[in-house]
Amino acid sequence: MDQSIASTGFGAPPARRPKHRTGRVDRLRENAGSWLFLFPAVLFFFGYQVYPIFRVIWISFTDYQFLSDKPAKWIWFDNYIDALSDPLMWSSLWRAMYFTILFLPGCIILPLMLAVLVDRVKTPRLAAFYRVILLIPAVIPSTLVFVLWKWMYNYQVGPINHLLVDTLGIFDLQTAPQWLGGTPLTLPSIAIMEVWWGLGYHAIFFLAGLAAIPKDLPEAARIDGASEWQVFWHITRPRLAPIMMILVVLRFGSAMAVIDEYLIFGGFNRATPTYTWTIYMYDEAFKTGLWRQGLGAAIGMIGAVAMMIVVLVLLRVFRPKD
Amino acid sequence: MSMTLQATPLPAAGPAGRPRRKRSWLQQNSALVIRHAVIILFLLIILLPLVWVLLMSVKTLPDAMRGVMWPSVFDFSHYPFVFSKIKTLPANLFNSIYVTAGTVLITAFCAVLAGYSLVHLRPKGSGIVITALLMSLYFPVRVVSLISVYEIQSFLGLINSTTGLILPYITLNLAISVLIMRSMFQLVPHELFEAAKIDGAGPWRALWMVGLPMVRNGLVVIFIVNFVTAWGEFLLCTTLTNDQDARTMPVVLAAAQGGQGYWAWPNLAAVYVIVVTPGILAFTAAQKLFFKGLAEGVIKG
Repeated sequence: MDQSIASTGFGAPPARRPKHRTGRVDRLRENAGSWLFLFPAVLFFFGYQVYPIFRVIWISFTDYQFLSDKPAKWIWFDNYIDALSDPLMWSSLWRAMYFTILFLPGCIILPLMLAVLVDRVKTPRLAAFYRVILLIPAVIPSTLVFVLWKWMYNYQVGPINHLLVDTLGIFDLQTAPQWLGGTPLTLPSIAIMEVWWGLGYHAIFFLAGLAAIPKDLPEAARIDGASEWQVFWHITRPRLAPIMMILVVLRFGSAMAVIDEYLIFGGFNRATPTYTWTIYMYDEAFKTGLWRQGLGAAIGMIGAVAMMIVVLVLLRVFRPKD
Repeated sequence: MSMTLQATPLPAAGPAGRPRRKRSWLQQNSALVIRHAVIILFLLIILLPLVWVLLMSVKTLPDAMRGVMWPSVFDFSHYPFVFSKIKTLPANLFNSIYVTAGTVLITAFCAVLAGYSLVHLRPKGSGIVITALLMSLYFPVRVVSLISVYEIQSFLGLINSTTGLILPYITLNLAISVLIMRSMFQLVPHELFEAAKIDGAGPWRALWMVGLPMVRNGLVVIFIVNFVTAWGEFLLCTTLTNDQDARTMPVVLAAAQGGQGYWAWPNLAAVYVIVVTPGILAFTAAQKLFFKGLAEGVIKG
């Protein structure tokens, strides 16, 4: 497992290069032909990912306003200074961080637990059935997950409040919790939704890792009298560490840069917990005034760079120790 | 190994002759029962919201407002109602199918060609491409590039164009799709393509006849991953289009507020079921190939 994960990095692919002596022209033509195959992917990748990033970096150093007729002026770091001296920048970064902290443990620990349980199901048909159900939320498109949970949390028809108020009677209609809509419960509610969404998907990742552990290893440990917990801690956990690292890093990235959920559940009220750096960027770039995209770009870059710093720290902390 | 096996007798097969207390099946298998019970609890948590929305779509309005889980009367009239009464619904559904099909096909096409080229043709400079693709996975490109993507689309005259959405949609999963295809093609021995070359097949023919059948499972994964992304994309669709006619179904659904009239709760739920079912059905049908592809390519990528 370590091997294969490492090999997707920068290691040499196993395929051999054909060795034959040809002229320079032939080689050039062959190279051009090979690039022809790469061309469509590279065209889209460059046009809609590489170029836009550099363009946004450029915009962030100008006073570019999309709806204004005036040409953009190069203003060096003014946008960055503006953004960083605004307390909103810091609170919006902190809100994104808070959401990530709420969300990360549940999206790693619960799927891991579930995977360990499903891995020990011996009946092949039952195991296959469990896996299919587990992956169903992962094939529900993102917006539909958000819409579904917007209804789940609804105070009028949502089943969660129906359970709490009518069935269990813990709350009455006046005290029933407001899950969404800018209350302090909003970010935890969204985090619960995200955990639900990733539960099966992440469990499938862990299951793939568990399948790669030789079965006689835990068996032998059990025969030697190791408890299930010891087997998990000393045999299973270290072997799942690479997968855990990839999940933590990738999910950290996606949790910090959440935007669709906040657009759907929140709004552009600057005091609400869903007003994170992504919404701040969107607000400045597409909502207020003449669309100050220079400032919006700077906010986006600050958020992205802050995130990348943590990602790099995580990659160092979790790097394989061999 | 064999030493430990002999040294400690298995607890279940106790030494013969010693009288053993009879235990019920439940006691003997308590671990098994608890394990399955916990798994089934998780599965219920996963399925219950979906069951709720499915039931909601066949409830009468009073039942829906009362919040009872099981409807007292099954009312299937909401499905024909939404099609006949909500004006933009057919257009939105068509938009969803059109944009998703375009995105999935073009991304798969790009990913297969690129994966093949990166592993078996390896032109000069392909290392840079792989590095750039990997780096893009760790950077919040989708969010940060939005300002520039809007500018590009407006330069191309594609604001409020449904077809125009396909272009940025392709790149949403392009990097991961190419990397999946790359690890799929790494499993195909290079000799196969060499043999095809000796038989007189050009690189295109070799890819079509030899390569494609071998990466079929990975293709299924790419189809499903891109389908899910394009079908449910929200950010670009709301930013790049203004009219409800030009938008995809999930985006319209996200903007709809439940209440009375056209967007009464059971009607909303009926639209939801119509939009969510194709994906779940397609996945369930293709799940064997999907899991194979996942095991072969994705876990490594």
